Amino acid sequence: MLGPSLLLESCGSATASRGHIQGTLHGASHVLGHLLRQPGKLPAPSRTLQAEVVIVGGGVAGLAAKRWLHRQEVHEVLLLELEEQVGGNAASGHSEVSAYPWGAHYLPVPDTRNQDLLDFLREAGVITGYDAATGLPIYNEYHLCHDPEERLNIQGYWQSGLVPELGVPAADRQQIARFFALIEQLRQAKGHDGKDAFAIPVDHSSADDTFRQLDLLSFGDYLAREGFTSPYLCWYLDYCCKDDYGATTATTSAWAGLHYFAARKGSAHNATASDVLTWPEGNGFLVHHLRRASPENILPQTLAYALRETSDGVEVLAYDVRAQQSVQLKAKQVLLATPQFVTQRLLAGVAESKALACYHAPWVVANLTVDGLPQGPGRPLCWDNVVYGSKSVGYVNANHQDLAMTADERKVITLYWPLADEAPDLARRAAYQTSYDEWLQRIMAELETAHPGVTPHVAQADIWVWGHGMIAPTPGFLWHSERLAAAQPLRQKIFFAHTDLSGMSIFEEGFYQGIRAAREILASA
Amino acid sequence: MGNEPVVSPPRRATATPDHLPGLLLASVFVIATCGLIYELIAGTLASYLLGDSVTQFSTIIGAYLFSMGIGSWLSRYLDEPLLKWFIRLEILVGLVGGFSAPLLFVLFEYVTSFRLMLYALVGLTGVLVGLEIPLLMRILEDRFAFKELVSRVFTFDYIGALLASLIFPLVLVPQLGLIRTSLFFGALNVIVAAVALHRFRETRPYRRQFTGVIIGALLMLGVGFAYAERIMTYTETLAFQDQVIYSKSTPYQRIVLSKNNRELRLFLNGNLQFSSADEYRYHEALVHPAMQALPRARRVLVLGGGDGLAVRELLKYNQLQSIRLVDLDPGMTHLFQHNQMLLALNKGSLLNPRVQVINGDAYQWVRQDTTRYDCIVVDFPDPSNYSVGKLYTAAFYRELDKLLVSGGLIVVQSTSPYVARQSFWCVRHTLDAAGFHTIPYHCYVPSFGEWGYVLAGRNGHWRGDGGLPAGLRYVTPATIRDMLYFPPDMAEVPTEINQLNNQALVRYFEEDWGPYTH
Repeated sequence: MLGPSLLLESCGSATASRGHIQGTLHGASHVLGHLLRQPGKLPAPSRTLQAEVVIVGGGVAGLAAKRWLHRQEVHEVLLLELEEQVGGNAASGHSEVSAYPWGAHYLPVPDTRNQDLLDFLREAGVITGYDAATGLPIYNEYHLCHDPEERLNIQGYWQSGLVPELGVPAADRQQIARFFALIEQLRQAKGHDGKDAFAIPVDHSSADDTFRQLDLLSFGDYLAREGFTSPYLCWYLDYCCKDDYGATTATTSAWAGLHYFAARKGSAHNATASDVLTWPEGNGFLVHHLRRASPENILPQTLAYALRETSDGVEVLAYDVRAQQSVQLKAKQVLLATPQFVTQRLLAGVAESKALACYHAPWVVANLTVDGLPQGPGRPLCWDNVVYGSKSVGYVNANHQDLAMTADERKVITLYWPLADEAPDLARRAAYQTSYDEWLQRIMAELETAHPGVTPHVAQADIWVWGHGMIAPTPGFLWHSERLAAAQPLRQKIFFAHTDLSGMSIFEEGFYQGIRAAREILASA
Repeated sequence: MGNEPVVSPPRRATATPDHLPGLLLASVFVIATCGLIYELIAGTLASYLLGDSVTQFSTIIGAYLFSMGIGSWLSRYLDEPLLKWFIRLEILVGLVGGFSAPLLFVLFEYVTSFRLMLYALVGLTGVLVGLEIPLLMRILEDRFAFKELVSRVFTFDYIGALLASLIFPLVLVPQLGLIRTSLFFGALNVIVAAVALHRFRETRPYRRQFTGVIIGALLMLGVGFAYAERIMTYTETLAFQDQVIYSKSTPYQRIVLSKNNRELRLFLNGNLQFSSADEYRYHEALVHPAMQALPRARRVLVLGGGDGLAVRELLKYNQLQSIRLVDLDPGMTHLFQHNQMLLALNKGSLLNPRVQVINGDAYQWVRQDTTRYDCIVVDFPDPSNYSVGKLYTAAFYRELDKLLVSGGLIVVQSTSPYVARQSFWCVRHTLDAAGFHTIPYHCYVPSFGEWGYVLAGRNGHWRGDGGLPAGLRYVTPATIRDMLYFPPDMAEVPTEINQLNNQALVRYFEEDWGPYTH
């Protein structure tokens, strides 16, 4: 009865063009997702499937859990994914010019203590071996971000690196140097429990109050307290909060703001902690390898809408969008690898359930096919290109890792724009109501500031609006007992894994959450 | 054009028929178009010759507009006869504006402080153009009410500006080029002067004298227009010292060949690639130290070297069965397969049946090639940018390693160990890091200076006393021994390894060559 109209609404994209620029407006299927609020409208299940474990959500956490269970010989695992493709925030796309990311697009060289992650990277061919003398991993040079890596447009000039340098007064430079000296100290700091003050995964960080109390403070207040007042430094740190969390220094906790820098402890035979791994399709590369480990039994375009405990397990009701019918899934255990606002709906009828209130800023990501980027003086096109003082967090060149020289000047650039100026729900509502033409106008205006005259060079502009971009670690969120409680399994039947439970949406956390939950499932069996 | 009501009474008797104000308004239109064209030409030329388009364009336009202001202010010092001044001015604007582009092109090669010349010329043109409209308004002030005058003059002024801004990028630059556009609009200014001279009665006393000047000016502009092509070649010739005999832009580079009595020179993007007088030194030194050590070599891969000169040296080894050359630019290999002069130089090497020419990207090629080679000759341009820098990385050398038979050798042209000492040793250290045993050497090429190469193999068994083909002019066993010695001013320095994620070599190369090019 509701089939056809529902399907039309849920495809969540519209093709449009403005002048010579073609493009499509995509979005995570929020219209479909909103059906969760009225599960009564969905048809009754017409068939039943059985599995040992049902995983709801095919983001990095869900896929990592599935891979882990598969490696431990648990094969009857069914994964439900709302979108057409798995990947969550690491979604990607491709055109005739290039593959490109729709979300997360790099992984910093990891800490060598993160053995699970190193094993996976070895499996994916990102690590090619280990140096015999030092034991350090050797990374595939084609996956390490090539030089030139970053540039910042400031005073009309492209300087190298993202920390403002050009025309920055001596006093500000001094503050910037002092900030990075502090970071270096925190990078090495350990709490009295002997653990690192700042670690990835977050849960491996020290419980020492000296550090954890920083979580109660906003990063902005912390900076003011410590005398970091330079507008250049403050701009840079605000940019970092937006880039990693979709939040500002005012809405990010000081602990999380410092963690962004102080938790990077990667080492390698042929790279340093500041190196990153990247691919044309961004973290879609890692998703592909996670999925490849166990590609069967993934049901895309399937919305889990209800969950019920039974005497011998769990029952999940899901709506298959393509077949327009509901399915009943019977499993011994279920893993909810979903964001908290979805988890909360699914747990509506479940006793003792608690979900967290999370801060998810909306994001806009645009993939632009260009045949040139007219620019002023300074460094040539880099991987990451940021404009000082601008609203977006800049763009990444998806073709940066190309090795070949060609006469074809076309490339795809991916522009990231967190809508962090308003409260998330207001920004989200406004974002859903904004048309393709309006987005395009804003995006082109943004691009024109650093590349005057670029508009005629843009052939295609595809835009993705993420209603719930990624979680922001707001003050008090990370080290509140509620966060750890929300990750606890319910009666060895319902398990949880998602970066929301880490408080920061990075690949390492999703990967860790998935494996942690998979281990809990294995231990309970 | 009808008679308009006149508010202020005429202060001056006029001998001008009533249709002539229309003519003057038409000339407002023409001079406005010309004025904006000169501005656009100066801006375009500045960004073309000096680079950095945003700064150049905006400072040129600023300087031009400011000079126009000076011109307008100066107009107060011009008094009767205004029409005579106007005619003089038009001739002058025509000549200065008209010759601005050819002059700047030629001066760019000669003048040390080109920027100063550029702004002086822009300033002069601006002052002259700035005089035009105030002068015309004063000529017309008695023929129109003030509000009519302002309205009409500025309407035509801005329409002219619009026209100029549209036809300049769409028609003029693509069809005529900058030099001809500049000369053409100069002629239009002079024609405005000619028309004014012949339609206004009051010009009679000086008509004959000015007609001569106008004809002279038009002739000069016409000659310039006819020889625009030659001016262009002349300027390029100056940049290359000798006569340019061939120039072509391919999607990858600009290829220029120049010639004098003694030698033929090839330039890629303005950088000298070889001189026919001494290229044998460079190419013999590139090929023979490796090949004389490989008496059983059958297959060779040449990367870059689309001129076929390294291949010419390789063909001196009869035991070679196949030589595969991979060069990015088909424009380059085609030229060296078809031009008589160049065929004489490379002895038709690229047409030899033992030689296979592939046009493609070297990095892409080596990653998918499955052939094993006895020798790989790497003859890329110097690592002056990030794209070429990738072809000098440890990752690239590891790809080459996969294509080499055991006991095979790689030789890499490695820029000048004298001028670019860090760069040269960086190439060596990078090959070392990729797991090779390396032997650095160098030779003197008069047109280049000291030039360096690195030999690389999987073991250290290379010897320099193998058999050399007959007829070499530079390489002998004794030369090879000499080439291995590095005097203290070129001796080894510590460097980083060139990797894709640091591109250390591009930085070294900029540091090393910077003082020589800026």
